[in-house]
Amino acid sequence: MQPGYYIVLAALLFTIGAVGVLIRRNAIVLFMCIELMLNASNLALVTFGRINGTLDGQIMAFFVMVVAAAEVVVGLAIIMSIFRTRRSASVDDANLLRY
Amino acid sequence: MTTAVDVLAQELQIRLPALDYLAMGPMLVLFGGACLGVLVEAFATRRSRPFLQFWLSLIALVAALVTVVRAANNSPQAFTADTAIAVDGPALFLQGTVIVLGMVALLLMGERRIDKGGPFVARASVPVGGEADRRQARESGSTEVFPLTLFALGGMTLFVAANDLLTMFVALEVFSLPLYLLCALARRRRLISQEAALKYFLLGAFASAFFVFGTALLYGFAGTLRLGGIHTAALGSTANPLLLFGGIALIAVALLFKVAAVPFHVWTPDVYQGAPTPVTAFMAACTKAAAIGALLRVLYVALDRVRWDIEPVIGAVAILTMLVGAVLAVTQTDIKRLLAYSSIANAGYLLVGALAFSREGVSSSLFYLAAYGFTVVAAFAVVALVRDEDGEATHLRRWAGLGRRSPVVAGLFTFLLLAFAGIPLTSGFTSKFAVFSAALGTSGQWQVAMVIAGVVTSMVLAFPYLRVVVMMWLSEPVENGPMVANAGTLTWTALWVGAFATLVLGVYPAPVLDLAHKAAEFLQ
Amino acid sequence: MSLSAYVPILFLFALAAAFALFSVGVSQIVGPKRANRAKLEAYECGIEPSPEPVGGGRFPVRFFLVAMLFIVFDIEIIFLYPWAVSFNALGLFGFVEMLLFIGTVLIAYAYVWRRGGLDWD
Repeated sequence: MQPGYYIVLAALLFTIGAVGVLIRRNAIVLFMCIELMLNASNLALVTFGRINGTLDGQIMAFFVMVVAAAEVVVGLAIIMSIFRTRRSASVDDANLLRY
Repeated sequence: MTTAVDVLAQELQIRLPALDYLAMGPMLVLFGGACLGVLVEAFATRRSRPFLQFWLSLIALVAALVTVVRAANNSPQAFTADTAIAVDGPALFLQGTVIVLGMVALLLMGERRIDKGGPFVARASVPVGGEADRRQARESGSTEVFPLTLFALGGMTLFVAANDLLTMFVALEVFSLPLYLLCALARRRRLISQEAALKYFLLGAFASAFFVFGTALLYGFAGTLRLGGIHTAALGSTANPLLLFGGIALIAVALLFKVAAVPFHVWTPDVYQGAPTPVTAFMAACTKAAAIGALLRVLYVALDRVRWDIEPVIGAVAILTMLVGAVLAVTQTDIKRLLAYSSIANAGYLLVGALAFSREGVSSSLFYLAAYGFTVVAAFAVVALVRDEDGEATHLRRWAGLGRRSPVVAGLFTFLLLAFAGIPLTSGFTSKFAVFSAALGTSGQWQVAMVIAGVVTSMVLAFPYLRVVVMMWLSEPVENGPMVANAGTLTWTALWVGAFATLVLGVYPAPVLDLAHKAAEFLQ
Repeated sequence: MSLSAYVPILFLFALAAAFALFSVGVSQIVGPKRANRAKLEAYECGIEPSPEPVGGGRFPVRFFLVAMLFIVFDIEIIFLYPWAVSFNALGLFGFVEMLLFIGTVLIAYAYVWRRGGLDWD
């Protein structure tokens, strides 16, 4: 199996995630799209690790996973506190900051 | 065919990395202090926490500064932790800068007299306006902000010293995640504060996803995550250059986002306005220093062999940043948003210095970061002071006639605004002069274009600053306008330190310029 | 690498399958058979499941806090795997580093515990 295909797959997943962040409006969905981008990056890292024959890519993928989990928790905490104070998770409802 | 297990078996002859604990001292002290802070938060009584946390954080910062100075005096410049961390001049200078500016911002966070109980809220998720919310308005605020600030500062000190992309990514997140939380904790106007935190978080996480994918591409290109390895591979490698330039572009997106450069600046005004003012001061001074520091390292250590290819792109970003920041600053009616757009324009001036690709470029950027940091912290200290019964009076119309009612504060703010505008005898003039002359010293066409844009936008930017000055001194005071709050020594200390540094760096900048020049050599 | 390294895993599979078959089979043969209504209900504890959960399928916000805490503490395991694999090569240094790491996680745990993050009500 050509490892190049995995890079293409990773790039596609990353693009899907990025487009999702730009067009979706629900904070939780945005968040899932960002996670998709991070996981696409993990796939690319691991594949390049295989191509290069070094372990750095896998190690980086470990760290990305842990950081992603920490990010999930911080993000959900912020979203939850907004939800509790105003009972909505839509980004468009958060609209006090306009000029 | 080699399987992953075989690779693992080869790698198992592990060399343990040599760790230079003195060189890593600042990070160790800050993270240790933050962990202690978490323990204090867990076990100390509610009443003793504000006092304990504030002094613990301040002591940790002083200790970290001492270790920075010792590392600068004692050890020769070296890599440590298997070249993951570079302890060189720019790293030490920026670590010192970030720690000192963090100290000044910490004074603003510790202020407990302007708002009773401090500028932060204890429980951010209580519904606004409810009974529990009215009760907690009288309570002491959150003290978690102090360990969070220490974690953020630890991340920043690591970020400016990170010599491979993995360390850089971890440091980026370590300083970003606490900042997202700090943004959400304002006592007054909590909805706006949370909204700012959400925007900052979503866009920040988006940017760090770009960083990771860019890292993956550069790793695929160079076969290593080290900045030095990318430098070597950029000339000799037979790998697809698409990987190199794609990776550079994606990483640049993430770093320029943190720097708040156009077109990645949209979060800046919202977050600066919504975040609690001490946190805004902290972000404007320290995040900018850390992000520019990392950007400088990536540009000078990893990418200096492809500088001709990236110069037009980042040069265009710099010019756009200055133009957009200056022009939109003119239209602002809120003082925090005005300072946010000014911060965007200043990111542009910093990029001018960075793109000089010379020793002067580095040293002028370092000096600029220190000078700008002091001025901006002091400016936000003034914003925290000017209040009416609803909290901070940030609308510019409310500031009319402030000079008659509170001449000291208005005078200090006038001086700070003149420094932002780059009037001689202030640090703003010295630092702008330094970056522009560094750029002209390189005398490429992009550098000349950037300097022209810089001078023009400086003149444009003088207008909104001077409008505020005119408003404070010459307009009729508004009915029941804002007063200068009855603040404790902490805010006043921060304000005077910032203003004094702005004056000294404008009148007698030579020692700091010398220091920056001596420090301006990246370890390859 | 020869396949003999996987023999213990195969053995473990066989053991697990044998235990499962044994316990199901023996309970079929030995166990008493007394029918009643409760045994025909869905195999769950607690109240009888209804087609429409209370509140339209929402669940209390408390679950969210528990889930978050779980994720944070759970993901730290990821660093234990490579450490465990190369434990011998890392030696004392690795051991002390891992102790420090777990100590840091414990600090976070102490904070969560003392501030009531683990209290259910």
